Amino acid sequence: MGKYLLRRILQMIPVVLGTTLLVYALVFLLPGDPVKAMFGDKPINEAVAAQIRAEYHLDQPFIVQYFIYLKNALTLDFGNTFAGQPVLDEITRAFPVTIKLGLMAFVFEAIFGVTFGIISGLKKGKWYDTVILIVSLLLISVPTFVTGFVLQYLLGIQWSILPVTAGADPTFLDLLMPAMVLGSVSMAYIIRLTRAEISSNIAEDYVRTARAKGMSNGQVMLRHVLRNSLIPVVTYLGQDIGALMGGAMITEQIFNIHGIGFLTYQSILKGEANLVVSIVTLLMLIFVVCNLVVDLLYAALDPRIRYA
Amino acid sequence: MKKKALAFAAMACSVAMLLSACGGSNNASTTADGGANIIYAYNSEPQNPLIPSNTNETGGGKPGDLLFSRLVSFDKDGNASNEVAESITPNDDATQYTIKLKSGWKFTDGTPVTAESFTKAWSYAANAKNAQKASSFFSTIKGYDELQSDNLKGTEQLSGLKVVDDSTFTVDLNQSDSAFPIKVGYLAFAPLPESFYKDPKAFGEAPVGNGPYKFKSWDHNKQIELVKNTDYKGNEDVKNDGVTFKVYTDDTAAYRDIQSNNGALDVMESVPASFTKTFKSDKKVQPYSEAGSVIQTFTIPSTLEHFKNDEEGQLRREAISMAIDRDQIIDKVLNGNAIAATDFTSPKTPGYSDSLTGSDNLKFNASKAKELWAKADAISKYTGTLTFSYNADGGAKPIYDAVVNQLKKNLGIDAATNPIPTFQEFRDAVTNRQMTGAFRTGWQPDYPSAENYLWQLYSTAAADGKGSNDGDYKNSAFDVLCLQAAAAKDTDSANKLYQQAQEILLKDLPAIPLYYSNASGVASLSVKSGFGMDWQNLPTYTEMSKK
Repeated sequence: MGKYLLRRILQMIPVVLGTTLLVYALVFLLPGDPVKAMFGDKPINEAVAAQIRAEYHLDQPFIVQYFIYLKNALTLDFGNTFAGQPVLDEITRAFPVTIKLGLMAFVFEAIFGVTFGIISGLKKGKWYDTVILIVSLLLISVPTFVTGFVLQYLLGIQWSILPVTAGADPTFLDLLMPAMVLGSVSMAYIIRLTRAEISSNIAEDYVRTARAKGMSNGQVMLRHVLRNSLIPVVTYLGQDIGALMGGAMITEQIFNIHGIGFLTYQSILKGEANLVVSIVTLLMLIFVVCNLVVDLLYAALDPRIRYA
Repeated sequence: MKKKALAFAAMACSVAMLLSACGGSNNASTTADGGANIIYAYNSEPQNPLIPSNTNETGGGKPGDLLFSRLVSFDKDGNASNEVAESITPNDDATQYTIKLKSGWKFTDGTPVTAESFTKAWSYAANAKNAQKASSFFSTIKGYDELQSDNLKGTEQLSGLKVVDDSTFTVDLNQSDSAFPIKVGYLAFAPLPESFYKDPKAFGEAPVGNGPYKFKSWDHNKQIELVKNTDYKGNEDVKNDGVTFKVYTDDTAAYRDIQSNNGALDVMESVPASFTKTFKSDKKVQPYSEAGSVIQTFTIPSTLEHFKNDEEGQLRREAISMAIDRDQIIDKVLNGNAIAATDFTSPKTPGYSDSLTGSDNLKFNASKAKELWAKADAISKYTGTLTFSYNADGGAKPIYDAVVNQLKKNLGIDAATNPIPTFQEFRDAVTNRQMTGAFRTGWQPDYPSAENYLWQLYSTAAADGKGSNDGDYKNSAFDVLCLQAAAAKDTDSANKLYQQAQEILLKDLPAIPLYYSNASGVASLSVKSGFGMDWQNLPTYTEMSKK
């Protein structure tokens, strides 16, 4: 077990190096000169532009720029944005908001997705099963920005139940609607996944055996049906938490949330290599860790899986 | 069983880690307190520190304008009047100015505003070592070129600025410039206190000015708080207790906040595309949409075959201009939020006229257009496709689709759009002179003077990459009239000369004017009085009140 963990963690090193190099190269290859763009459509003072290029090492060849970034990153100095703000500050300002939103969406989709999925799966064919199926199909087929705008207009402006936008330093209530919007599509998938798993597992031989041994219905459901059904659900949720932490550009934009998604979008537009690479590396680490946790959870759910 | 426990622990740990990271954002709350008369204004995060001469975009320009008073200030319509200056006196040919300051002006740190507050600030801005983005505004002052070399310390001063005494200084210019007394109203010409030079970086985070408002706080990516400067005794009559600029991810979100009147936002100076049709009749907001100072044009490079500055080129340019039905585009695409162009400046520019000789060239006349094009074809036949390039990230698509369709229909020529994904790539292609057809141009003035629209965009001095003459238009008759206007004794005679210069442009059409974008915006219903927009297409922040 410990060996397995160590191996997985060591694997992260080449992954981090590879990603940073790749992303840095991609930002470098973006068309357009970020320094020229700083002057908008006003005349460019070449002497000033040269000063700025030198300050951000933009006058150096790509590979030199990359190694300067890497060298500084080892001392936790991720450089400055073009506005003169330390990259680390930008990320630490935006990330807590994204985590908050992501976790709320995660809890929302996990609780409601699994619950409705179980209800649906156990009572197949009942009217509420049909309703759940139709609603989940609707959520999957309607794009997030439509759900977002509609809910914002109805709940926020027409009925004034929830705050219209979240703004800076959002509270739990401010983020409730965005979290629902963000989690809605995944929730629908989880409902369908759980329902399908439960309805197929319930007909398995081992369930019949368990019942034949005289186990109570609750015990059978909890220990056999549910436990086996949740393996793919956990996989899905694990992937999803990584995606949620990456920020949700559309949801953040609709509800004026200053999270990672918006920051990434802005920094790509401005060609801020340091910021883009730092964010992507961070997200990648989160993804890798989430995957590791999911793999470990498999072992807990399925005794046949062992790590050595 | 052991594995299970471990997995659970791993999960618990990661959740705890995530939760603890959330903790940081709960402490500050930014809700509006009912009592104070604070205006919450729409903004984007400034792209530079809040240093006047390093600010060249609106995110920093809006707070900067309220924090710093310059020698002159402008009223809503762009008319200049002295603010910190007592007098700005030119010599006979407007190459030297003597500037006297009013007494009693103070920065918010208590230090007085002296002649040196200006001369040192301007020299700092002009000095290339300090990498100030608005440095080229000082290029007409003597000594500017010496401050563009490689081996500078950053403290060298402009040789054209001489301090006479605490409240007087003189400015020597490289050439006549009657617009100089207006130019000094631009933000980059703001005075700076002595404390700035000790630590420019700290100053950029917490500026100290002499304007109608005082800096209170800057919470990056969130908001900038300004409060009323009670010591201010300038031209503005401040009707509220402060302005807080809030950063929005999206203008639609901002519009929704204004609609809901929830105290989050009071005013914004744009209208999201999806509301341009409805905002004027929206009962939940106070709308504003009037003639503005931004002109939208497209430029056809003067080097383009068949479009050079000769008889054939002029005929073709006139034909294209006359084949465009501007009113239809304004009506159908812009929902009426613009005015058809009749000149090269704007209705908000002092000296504007809608009936200059040659303004007929900007009026829709399909049959005349065809006739002119045929005449040009008689000189030399045009075959090929005229392309129209624009940046696709700025909402220009429907306009250029319409222009191209009208040209195809009204002129019978082959035309096509060429969208370029981002503004950055688009400007790159323009500054590298890679455009092989017409391209989108537009101008938002830095200061309200015809000079800013004409000299910067169409003079020979601004061509070939030395300024914003992106089409490299060169006409010495135009240059001469502009120079005469620059040497004129007073603004009125200068404006007369600028009108004559424009008549040349209306004949040559180096760029083809389309329309003046309206200054349009909305305010929340809590704003009780004073909502309007000024010559910069920005809300009249100082005049707004919630009481």
